Amino acid sequence: MERRDFLKFGVLTGATATLTACEKPVQQLVRFVPEEDFVPGVATWKPSLCTLCPAGCGVTVRIMDGEAEVVRNGQRGILKMGLAKKLEGNARHPVNRGKLCARGQAGLQVTYHPDRVSGPLKRSSSRGSGDFQEIGWPEALSEVVTKLAELRSQQQADSIRFVTGEMRGHRRELINQFLASLGAPAAVQFAPLDEPVLRRANVLAFGRAAMPSFDLERANYVISFGADFLGTWNSPVAQSIGYGEMRRGRPGNRGKFVQVEQRMSQTGANADEWVPSSPGSEGLLALGLAHVIVKEGLRSNPTEINSSREVEEKLKDETYSPTQIATRTGISANRIERLAREMAAHPPSIAVIGGTPLAQTNGLFNALAVNLLNMVLGSIGSPGGMFFAPGASTVKEASSANQSVDFVAQVLSGGLENAEVLFLDNTNPVFAMPPSWQVSQKMKRTPFIVSFGRFMDETSVLADLILPDHSPLESWLDDVPESGTSEAVFTLAAPAMRPLHNTRAMPDVLLEIAHSLGGSVSEALPWKTFEEMLQASYRELARAERCHPTDGFEKFWGRMLEQGGWWDGQCQIHSPESPALEFQAPEFVPPRFDGSEQEFPFYFQPYVAEAFLDGSLAHLPWMQELPDALSTVMWGSWLELNPKTAEKLQIQQGDLIQVRSRHGSLETPAVLNPAIAFDVVAMPMGQGHAQFGRYAAQRGANPMSVVAPLQVEQVGSLAWAATRVSLSRTGRKGRLSLASGALYEQEKELELR
Amino acid sequence: MAQTAEQIQRDLLRPVLDPSRRAKPVIAGLALLVLAGFSAWMYQMYTGIGVAGIRRPVFWGFYITNFVFWIGISHAGTLISAILRLSNATWRRPITRCAEVITVFALLIGAMFPLIHLGRPWLAFWLAPYPNQRGLWPNYRSPLLWDFFAINTYLIGSLIFLLLPLIPDCALLRDNVTGWRNKLYSLLSLGWRGTQKQWHRLEAAMHIMAILIIPVAVSVHTIVSWDFAMTPVPMWHSTIFAPYFVAGAIFSGIAALIIAMVFLRSSLHLEEYLRPECFDNLGKLLLVMSLLWFYFLFAERLTTWYGNARPEIAVFWLTQRGPYRHLFWVMVGCNFVLPFPLLAIKKLRTIAGTFLASVAVVIGMWIERYLIIVPSLSHKFLPYAWGTYRPTWVEITITAATFCGMALLYLLFSEVVPVVSIWELKAGLREPVR
Amino acid sequence: MSHCWGMAVDLDRCTGCGACVIACQAENNVPTVGEEAAQKSRTMHWIRIERYYEGEFPNPRVRFRPVLCQQCDNAPCEPVCPTYASYHTSEGLNGQVYNRCIGTRYCANACPYTVRTFNFFNPVWDKPLHLQLNPEVSVRQIGVMEKCTFCIQRIKASEIQAKAENRALREGEPVPACVQSCPPKALVFGDLNDPDSEVSRLARSPRGAKLLSELGTQPKITYLQRDSWDGPNS
Repeated sequence: MERRDFLKFGVLTGATATLTACEKPVQQLVRFVPEEDFVPGVATWKPSLCTLCPAGCGVTVRIMDGEAEVVRNGQRGILKMGLAKKLEGNARHPVNRGKLCARGQAGLQVTYHPDRVSGPLKRSSSRGSGDFQEIGWPEALSEVVTKLAELRSQQQADSIRFVTGEMRGHRRELINQFLASLGAPAAVQFAPLDEPVLRRANVLAFGRAAMPSFDLERANYVISFGADFLGTWNSPVAQSIGYGEMRRGRPGNRGKFVQVEQRMSQTGANADEWVPSSPGSEGLLALGLAHVIVKEGLRSNPTEINSSREVEEKLKDETYSPTQIATRTGISANRIERLAREMAAHPPSIAVIGGTPLAQTNGLFNALAVNLLNMVLGSIGSPGGMFFAPGASTVKEASSANQSVDFVAQVLSGGLENAEVLFLDNTNPVFAMPPSWQVSQKMKRTPFIVSFGRFMDETSVLADLILPDHSPLESWLDDVPESGTSEAVFTLAAPAMRPLHNTRAMPDVLLEIAHSLGGSVSEALPWKTFEEMLQASYRELARAERCHPTDGFEKFWGRMLEQGGWWDGQCQIHSPESPALEFQAPEFVPPRFDGSEQEFPFYFQPYVAEAFLDGSLAHLPWMQELPDALSTVMWGSWLELNPKTAEKLQIQQGDLIQVRSRHGSLETPAVLNPAIAFDVVAMPMGQGHAQFGRYAAQRGANPMSVVAPLQVEQVGSLAWAATRVSLSRTGRKGRLSLASGALYEQEKELELR
Repeated sequence: MAQTAEQIQRDLLRPVLDPSRRAKPVIAGLALLVLAGFSAWMYQMYTGIGVAGIRRPVFWGFYITNFVFWIGISHAGTLISAILRLSNATWRRPITRCAEVITVFALLIGAMFPLIHLGRPWLAFWLAPYPNQRGLWPNYRSPLLWDFFAINTYLIGSLIFLLLPLIPDCALLRDNVTGWRNKLYSLLSLGWRGTQKQWHRLEAAMHIMAILIIPVAVSVHTIVSWDFAMTPVPMWHSTIFAPYFVAGAIFSGIAALIIAMVFLRSSLHLEEYLRPECFDNLGKLLLVMSLLWFYFLFAERLTTWYGNARPEIAVFWLTQRGPYRHLFWVMVGCNFVLPFPLLAIKKLRTIAGTFLASVAVVIGMWIERYLIIVPSLSHKFLPYAWGTYRPTWVEITITAATFCGMALLYLLFSEVVPVVSIWELKAGLREPVR
Repeated sequence: MSHCWGMAVDLDRCTGCGACVIACQAENNVPTVGEEAAQKSRTMHWIRIERYYEGEFPNPRVRFRPVLCQQCDNAPCEPVCPTYASYHTSEGLNGQVYNRCIGTRYCANACPYTVRTFNFFNPVWDKPLHLQLNPEVSVRQIGVMEKCTFCIQRIKASEIQAKAENRALREGEPVPACVQSCPPKALVFGDLNDPDSEVSRLARSPRGAKLLSELGTQPKITYLQRDSWDGPNS
């Protein structure tokens, strides 16, 4: 090309560029000066913490530079900033050891969700209408401060309520200190995934209100009663790691895994033997197994308890003999005997209980029976057995087994009605409680509701004021994992990235409110920021004997932030400090079900969906499009029933079914499942949101809308698996997106779509 | 043979020199439908191939069905005409040109479908081996590339095969019209003066082309069949596919020819020329092909069933008993059960009878292409990935538009040149009927 | 020594949890398609977990099987592509050049594993979800076929890193996103040219089998069959 041509070409291109520029206005947004340094295109990894479920896995966040549209000082503009690109397990974290489940990885989308509440909102018309107007932080905070000051001056601080979701660490500590300084009652927790029944059983059996951990790596025999421990229950990643090792980690020694449940869960799908006992009879089956072991003297190394003799005598009673319980459990006596002998012959063996059996009215009995089976098997606190993570007792134990129940009790006893101010953080009881408890109606009567919600969900929409919290990746986080590890662990993480929106961290907001209130409140909370509070608190930890920081706190703090926390690196599987002295063999309590067998022929079992948990993750598009492990459904809800049952009712795959209980009805498409009992129908929790962002809203049905408000006896939590329902065809097809084209690979060519 | 040369010339030039006004609304209607199809295609181009019903795992649907179908139809002409020419069958004289035209138009339409079906049709030229800076060449191992060459060769060959015998008739037209039409026909007649030498060369060229085009035609549908047979897809990966496809192509081609002839006969008043003998003879040919088609179908089905290999048998039962069973039996009915008596019984092998059989065959053969493509793709090896296919309005519109397009092109053609070869009929006057 | 990347999938460890599916989606900018497209099975996941039932209640069994591109040595998808968009790389992977793909979808038909996904429309990330995109992996546009690459960007990054440090690649390096995330360690990745690597060791396992081996595609993924329990020392 000649130079002249080149120049001509250049002029031409320039002219074209100018013309194009005229057509379309150039990006009008301001470009902010970057607030941090980075090498373009080079990824850095920062530790963080997964807060999506109670497991408390450590994560690392891949940070790379990128350009985000952000708001700074009320102005919208473009900021070159470090952006989280991917979440992986923190390889050094003792709970998840570098691994992370699907949900944890999708936590990234919480930060970037298009429907996050991007700044403080104030209700602008009637409650629940969903009309909000944007306001500034100073106005928003002053409203809260005024309200609180007014209550304090009227000596009505005890009418302040604070409801949180599953929450541990200093966030919870701060809330409680804040409430205490105000003279308000402690925060109550409402976390549908929590297992208050098991906690109560553990208090009764071991004097510990914590969730148990399991040494699956070294176990030779695992029997699980309904616990989806490889999917959603307790500490699924830690348990999955252990499961992998149990199966193939020890050459020549492959552990056996038995699952007892009525509807095959993702966990049950991996079992060597699947035992469909009748609903609510799990505890009885456990006692039957214990009976055989005790009676036949198969115990090799039982856990010593003071009341061994009485318990043994009780267990030997004929009421628990396999022949006696065979009808009640639906499991043949031979099979019970064989299972009992197998598990006794292959120690160490573990019994696990979780999920559906705990959500029966006799859930406490079921849990106690399984605890007793563990004692008989000698698996408590021994290698290859169950134990309690040592961490739980070191920081102020976030225990209080009855927190969730407190909320239920509060709702039922009218505690919400007396509230003058209600704070809501990371919890959605309107969605997760049966409508017959009328949470929504009761909350509507509360004069002033403040939500720290990041999203507009069914509960936040009732608020007067929404003070959106940072996403976890933008926040200071700390946690003491309650289970899933045998080490003492403190997880600590600094914000992995700067905030995208005009949000503020909830702990910082509380501190600011406290300081504005002044006086004793301000004195009780002397820290300017949550970070300061964490530093102060961990300084104390560093002084404690166990940590031995030889090089001063600053270095210790730096190391903690670098590796994502502190753990002692020592395996400490030991018996609980105080096994209850007078632990008794529990009396069998039959389960109760709501609705008569004639009118409502099916047991209705909602279950925790892998993708959505209790519904708190339904807003993430990755989770919506993740095919369910068993049904392979995406983007919707469904009802599982046995193909034989369906044939009898002339129901076909995809038919829209009306599910009716005494308390309500819902419509959802049918999915055939060869691994569910004939008289059981199951439905995933988590869909059916009225509000929750564009991906979740108005999608599917919420099983809670038919769940009867029965409570677990002696605990009071919701017995969500104790409802009977009837099914009827609507004559229409439902919307069903299936990933799978067939149920069987070999035996049958069963068409599904 | 009562006609005289003048009568032939008058009757056959009439549609060209004095086109019927009745055709106008038909042309307009067809053009509108073609336009609808074209709009649907543009919509698809603009919005994305996703507006079609294809999905995982059925990545090929209506478009490729149409592709195979139209390429099959294109075997009507050239192949039949070439064989009849070589065998010197006198009854071929009035039908060769209608047949050859079908080939060219059906090929043009058929060749459009691979473009319509592409995810990024604007890059279709990457199939062509053109020299480029990056040194990138197409992949000669791909059956799609073989297709590209085979279809282009066939198209060029058929075009020559159509245009060569047009020369004397264009010269005749040139001498009968004025203005721009004169210029057009002058161009097409390539300076034809009707000298002995020119006649001799034309005959020689026609003979050579007739011989050359037969292997080309056979190879085209063979290669189209290899698009399927070369891939490890259950019931595609079959050695029978090449002859099966060629037989099916000729089968559907003859049927298309009969349909075209029936319409030409009535609309252009060519009763004198497209006489019942033509239909009777073509009917016999169609009968042979119907039997042959049924034989191939039987051979394919029997070996699959007897072999009982798992992936194949899944597809087998899918079409035999599964959701495609209705289509399957309609296909068998259309391609064999209905045509067989119509064509085998002499009394029924009338114009109406052959027409009815032909319509059935065209429908049946379209379904056959569909049943070859869709069930196999929907049930490949891993049952978890099984799926279905349902066409959308875009695919249906485009498909319908191509049938209208075919009719439109044919109609326009018949108004531009005589669809029955004048000089060949005149030549026929001089020789005894064989 | 050149590398030959391969994988072993221990079906006895796999729990069907789906961590690999999301890990892949996050790493490789795999879009979500929404309900309507999902209903037409147009989802884009590069790895799926197949679920097969066996038997019926009360004795049902389920098998999970993660299926991703098998990176066949004798890949049916490669010869059929008219533009060389799918080709065999020097390290034996089945490459897919998005820019060269014209969307004939022939490769997807030819693939017996049905692991190729097609961009029926342009992918959409509602703002600001686009900020999650991995800048090291190109976003594919409409009309283009895509599939698992064994996280080629991670392989290349590891190779470059090793070269910069003037050393050979270590065991456990590189590691694709799915393998990295798998909690029960069912997925193992490594160099099949190295007879001592864990993946080579597992590939020789008597439990090992190739998926659809009868087709002669010679996949580089070995599936280790699930075992059954018949005693403590089975």
